[in-house]
Amino acid sequence: MAILNFTLSEEGVTALRDALICLSKFSDDVSLEARKDSFTLTTLNVTKSAYASFKFGPGKFFSRYSFQGTGPYREKFYCTLFIRSLISIFRSRTSVDTQRDVERHTVIEKCDVAVEDGEGISSRFIARIVFRNGLTSTHRLPFEVAVPVHAKFNKSDSPHHWVIASRTLRQLMDHFGPGIDLLDINTDGDHVNFTCFSEKTVSEDAVLKKPLQTSIAVEADEFDDIDVEDKLHIVISVKDFRAIIQHAGITGNVISARYSLPARPIQFSYGSEAISCEFLVMTVAPSEAPGQDAQQMPPPPPASRRPPNLTPQMSAPRASASRLGAFDLRPTQQAPPPATHNSESLFVDEESWEPMRDEEEEEDNARLEWDHSAETNPAELRMKSMMHQTAQPAPDANTEDAASANLESQALEPTQNMSEVQNLALFPD
Amino acid sequence: MRFRTELKNIRTFAKLTAALSSLEKIAWVRLSDDTVRFTVIPDMGSQVWASLAMDFLFEGYNIQSAEANNTINLELPLQPLQRALKSAQNSMSASLRLTKKDGLPILSMVITTMTGDKGTAGGASSNVAAAATRNSNSDDPFADDEDINLGPEHLETSLRREHEKVITQDIPVRVLHPETVETIMQPKVREPDVHIQLPPLLQLKAISDRFTKLALVPPGNKSPKLELSANMHGSLRLRINTETTDISSVWSGLENPELDPAQLDMPVDEHPSTRFREMGPEKWASVRVDGKDWSRVLSVGRLEGRVIACFADDHALILYVYVPHYDDASAEDSVVTYYVQSYSA
Repeated sequence: MAILNFTLSEEGVTALRDALICLSKFSDDVSLEARKDSFTLTTLNVTKSAYASFKFGPGKFFSRYSFQGTGPYREKFYCTLFIRSLISIFRSRTSVDTQRDVERHTVIEKCDVAVEDGEGISSRFIARIVFRNGLTSTHRLPFEVAVPVHAKFNKSDSPHHWVIASRTLRQLMDHFGPGIDLLDINTDGDHVNFTCFSEKTVSEDAVLKKPLQTSIAVEADEFDDIDVEDKLHIVISVKDFRAIIQHAGITGNVISARYSLPARPIQFSYGSEAISCEFLVMTVAPSEAPGQDAQQMPPPPPASRRPPNLTPQMSAPRASASRLGAFDLRPTQQAPPPATHNSESLFVDEESWEPMRDEEEEEDNARLEWDHSAETNPAELRMKSMMHQTAQPAPDANTEDAASANLESQALEPTQNMSEVQNLALFPD
Repeated sequence: MRFRTELKNIRTFAKLTAALSSLEKIAWVRLSDDTVRFTVIPDMGSQVWASLAMDFLFEGYNIQSAEANNTINLELPLQPLQRALKSAQNSMSASLRLTKKDGLPILSMVITTMTGDKGTAGGASSNVAAAATRNSNSDDPFADDEDINLGPEHLETSLRREHEKVITQDIPVRVLHPETVETIMQPKVREPDVHIQLPPLLQLKAISDRFTKLALVPPGNKSPKLELSANMHGSLRLRINTETTDISSVWSGLENPELDPAQLDMPVDEHPSTRFREMGPEKWASVRVDGKDWSRVLSVGRLEGRVIACFADDHALILYVYVPHYDDASAEDSVVTYYVQSYSA
């Protein structure tokens, strides 16, 4: 029997396709999560440095929507699908030559979707596409039942924010050339600067192959709302930013960004009455932002700059995260690994993860070890991290675990613990 | 070493850059008190020597160099320049400055503009022009997918007041030592047998490209040669001759410009072209050119200048492209010279 049954209007098909195209720029798979009153698509990229979420309201795009939760899916249903096969269904013949398609009436008119799962039934996502010319095609996609991972973002920890027309940002992107990979967003008095650059170093005789470096100063007045710290540099991946801006441009609304410090996530969000979109993207730690802006980087913020609300009920993961932040900013630090390794910070704000504290710390320590693999005196640093460990009210056994994790960390893949982490997302909030 | 200037004639500068960039990635730029020269010398293919008056592209410029004759020689990547100039089109002002960043020399272009390609004063017509430019650049390797995929503008947002923006485009450059520059010599070619004004390049290019494609049909022939001939009686012939096809197109009624005796080392009567003219319309001067290279050469048509082709029979083909000065008709024409790679028949 069908757990989920809905019909997408023509507009709904377009909205879903746009969302899927955007998601496909982050990952190969999309997590679908359906509840009685909401339909959500999320994805986390493979390096776990970017998370995207599209939440569709039940009205507007859906001419029919019914969720019949049974068994393990009483509250909600979730599954993971391969994005490209979904896109190819919804893209059916409407892609290249719009003019000709209109003539041939092969535009999708609506789409009926049924999701079947349960004992003795094969798990299938069934999409019946009805074209305007009367043709109907039915696609049955297998899916994997996997608990979606949700990254959480703590607004109160992220005081810096701005709101601007998505169109304005999209036009800025037109000025950027190819070959760049990072975008530095910073404020300087009355202006917000968007500077793109590449961190790839080039050899002496290849200097002419360096990409065009573009910096655009936008008046603070142009933002609908802006409250950011002067001279604060936030560096993110241009590719992620482009994907977000491009989709935001389709919805045509304002986009808002919210962030705190380098090496902490930045949140982009926008939406309309029928869809709300949220992206969390890890920002690059300052010492990784090379080259021209290094000398302009703000000094490591004093301790008081860190989230002031370190209240007693603060979960241990967050406490360790703030220590991590201080660690990243220590000036003697060698270049830390790429932003992608910091990605776990996307999750530390989720307080419901408290039970996983040990794993969390293992991960942090694994990361510390990564950082220091190139240090000349790793022993001393390991001692330091051990001291952090013992400072925690953690049982001795855990300390040992963590220590052994330290030793093995070279062999640990930085994302190894995610499988364990995923189990926890079952109980958010 | 110092160079800074305001930019003018940005659209023409961008077109010139695009034309050069179709032949080679990097140009040698020589700046001096009164002339700026762009030179591209590909390993294979046609060379270009573009010599323009400084005040054709630059305004209020300041150049200071320790080198002889106050010259600055740079190696300049053309694609970043092209991209930067694209940002500068429809801008309110744009300046260029030679400076250093992180110890490396750059040409820094600072552009003051409104959001996007809309000048608030220009209104709809400038939008159309901008859109047309974008379309004509559709073969631009730099065209972002974004340009194409973007959805329609949303009216409610475009009503917002436009704000000024300052865009800085930093182009990496390399300063060349005078000794390096001395080894680069402009080719010397004997006096041509035929000189003729070419028909509209867009037309010539369309037909040339068609011929080249036809010759590509039998697989294996990767670089088909076109035969170009001209006489001193106003005719130009384009021909492709392969095992299976022999096609030609002839233009007639073209102009063979008069020679200026003051520019010649010899009396006009002794000039080879006079001999060719006397030998009648059946006396053709011919060269063979590589179809693909010729297509890249013809992309100079976007400059909309008058083009004189000089044929040295079975030896060389040179194109002189006279870049029009729209804003100052009295100014001396700037000339872009193409030494077209040619093969003997």
